[in-house]
Order: sequence, then C-alpha cells, then structure tokens
Amino acid sequence: MAKLKLALYWASSCGGCEIAQLQIGDKILKLAEVADIVFWPVAIDAKYKDVEAMPEKSIDVCLFNGAIRTSEQEHMAKMLREKSKVLIAYGACAYGGGIPGLGNMFNRELIFERAYLETPSTDNKEKVLPQTKCKVPEGELTLPEFYDTVKTLGQTVDIDYVIPGCPPEARTTWLALEALIEGKLPPKGTVITHNAKAVCDDCPKKRDVKKVKKFYRTFEIMPDPEICLLEQGLLCAGIATRGGCEAPCPQANMPCTGCYGPVDGVIDQGAHFLSAVASVIDSNDPDEIQRIIDGIYDPVGTFYRYSLPDSLLRRAKIK
Amino acid sequence: MKEARRIPLLKKMLGQLGIEEERVRLDWVSASEADRFASIVDEMTEQIRELGPFSHNS
Ligand code: SF4
Ligand code: SF4
Repeated sequence: MAKLKLALYWASSCGGCEIAQLQIGDKILKLAEVADIVFWPVAIDAKYKDVEAMPEKSIDVCLFNGAIRTSEQEHMAKMLREKSKVLIAYGACAYGGGIPGLGNMFNRELIFERAYLETPSTDNKEKVLPQTKCKVPEGELTLPEFYDTVKTLGQTVDIDYVIPGCPPEARTTWLALEALIEGKLPPKGTVITHNAKAVCDDCPKKRDVKKVKKFYRTFEIMPDPEICLLEQGLLCAGIATRGGCEAPCPQANMPCTGCYGPVDGVIDQGAHFLSAVASVIDSNDPDEIQRIIDGIYDPVGTFYRYSLPDSLLRRAKIK
Repeated sequence: MKEARRIPLLKKMLGQLGIEEERVRLDWVSASEADRFASIVDEMTEQIRELGPFSHNS
C-alpha cells in the first residue's frame, strides 16, 4: 500500500497543537510507517511554493490548526483545501475560533491601538502601525491583511472532520489518526472523540441538587474535591462541553473551560453554558439574582472561551 | 421561574457584546390579560423597528 501523504499546518494559534501532535509519543513511529509528512512548517523545511506545486487532492489528510485572522491564513486554508482529500480542523481555534476568537470582542483598530500604542512596554513615538504595503529604498514590503473578525476554519472552507481540544488530548488525536490509518473514517462532519456526551459524563465528582448563592473565581475558594465544581459556585463548563478528554481539569479541581466545544445537537455552546449556570442560581428574588449574577466576571470570556466566532452572534458590536 | 434567572444573565452578556438592551425583554403576562399581552408585543415590535435590523459594524 502506498504511504499516506500527511500535511500539518498552523494558522492563528499558539503552537500548543503542534506539541499535542507530538504527545502521541511512540505512536508517532507507527504513524511514520504508514504516512509521509509532506508539509509541516514547525518541523519540515517546505515552502508555500512547494504546496502550490502539488496537484489537487494529492495530500491525503491535512490537520489544520488555528483560526483564520489574516488574509495569509485564509489563502493557506483555501490552498490546503484544494490540495487535500480530507481536511481536518485540529484543535479549538480551527474548530470554534479558540482563544484568538476572543479578539472578536474588538476590531482591528482597537487591537492595533492596544498592541502597538497603549501597552506599557511599547515605545512607538512615531505611532507606526502595521501596513499591508510599505515602500522602502529596496522596494515594496508587504504584510498580510489583519481582519476585523476572526473566523473558524469551517466558516472559511469546507471541512471534513473536527479533532477538538485546546489542545486535543493525545487519546483524541490518536483516535482520529488510527481511524485514518485503518481507513475507517466516520461520516463526514463528525467531531471525533471517545464520548459524544458531555464532560460531566467522564467526571467522577458527585452531583446532588445543591444550588448556588454565590459564584467564585478559581483563586477564591478551595473546592471540596468530591463534589461537582459547578454546585460549589465555580463556573464549570462540563455540562455544555463534549466529552472524550476524560475530564482532566475537574479531576484536578479546576473547572472545565469548554475546550472540546459544544455537545452534539447544540449550535451555540455559550448559550448552553449560560443556561446551565442560570439554572443553578438559588433564588427567586430579582435583587438577589442580580447580585449573584454581578459576581460573574466576564460572561462572554467564560461562556464562549473557545467559541465566540462560531456562536450565533460571532462577534461584539463596536460602537 | 428559570427565565427570571436566565434573562438577567443573558442581558449582562449581551451588554458586553455591545447589543442594545432593548432587544431583549422579559415580562410576565397571565392568560387572562390579552390586552396587556397585545400591547407588550406592539411596544416591543415598535422598539425593534426603531433600533433597525441587527447588524455588526465590523
Ligand atoms: S459540572 Fe464540572 S465538576 Fe460538575 S460534574 Fe460536570 S464536569 Fe464535573
Ligand atoms: S475538562 Fe474541559 S477544559 Fe479540560 S480538557 Fe476537557 S473539555 Fe477541555
């Protein structure tokens, strides 16, 4: 059998997905037996022009991590779609926008102002901001365009599968790679994990009907390790998040932040999470309800930690 | 009663997203208050019309 041709790419991401790919450990040798890596900027010196020169659909599988924030990333997403038989959104940023997707609370102007003018460590008296074109004595320099709105990979091109997580757990990555190697791929569109139910289903903590009078930030309390974190007032997204990760965060007494994305059948993960949080509030008195809610810092960043671009609203409205 | 908890939280979040508070309203109407129901719907419709279609400006 001919070896599989595999490509791996990164767009708007942190590099964690590359580490996660290596976390499959010695299974990487098994992968090397059956697959040739034809493009992987973090490890292999192949250039864009090499990809351009590849015939259409000549890559068997492309694992694409990162959201789409710039024109360059959009271009690469389109090119890799064209060259790949199977395109997989790898990780929370490609899937739902991820942490870079929280940039949709702002726009380019606000982000540039903050990053290049306001930050205390910045010394930029001439107020130089990135330009897509710039003339210098040697000629013209260009930079990709930075978009106002971050998009997911699936909003940019057609995708075949999703491997969720920030970053994906090694077991999830391997589950997908094994299916690929054995040629037993699930139906198109599947979000590949071991458990399509919620993280709570993997979580050993005890749940009773305890209701919440006050929400806490993680540094404010030492939770009881036996009991559900949400019921102790920590904003745990387990209920609104797809399982399969084996719930490492709640098991370490940290609330799940939702990195595996929505559970099956849910379009808007944040709305689902919000609803779950509202339902544990223990009060019928409007003033008290308001007080309890006032204790929730940054609802958007909490409920849509990894999925703002993929939400129904996609971004904030800038006045 | 679930809405009494959900709507204020939703409003807080929509505020953060720059979405006008007037686009969401929670009111309690009993089955016998047909006129009140109709006038609330009219008010809400008028309010939304004034705000115009929802759009993101970037
Ligand atoms: S809400 Fe969090 S802590 Fe509670 S059962 Fe679900 S995953 Fe575990
Ligand atoms: S528990 Fe939640 S945040 Fe932690 S790995 Fe699983 S899905 Fe991600």
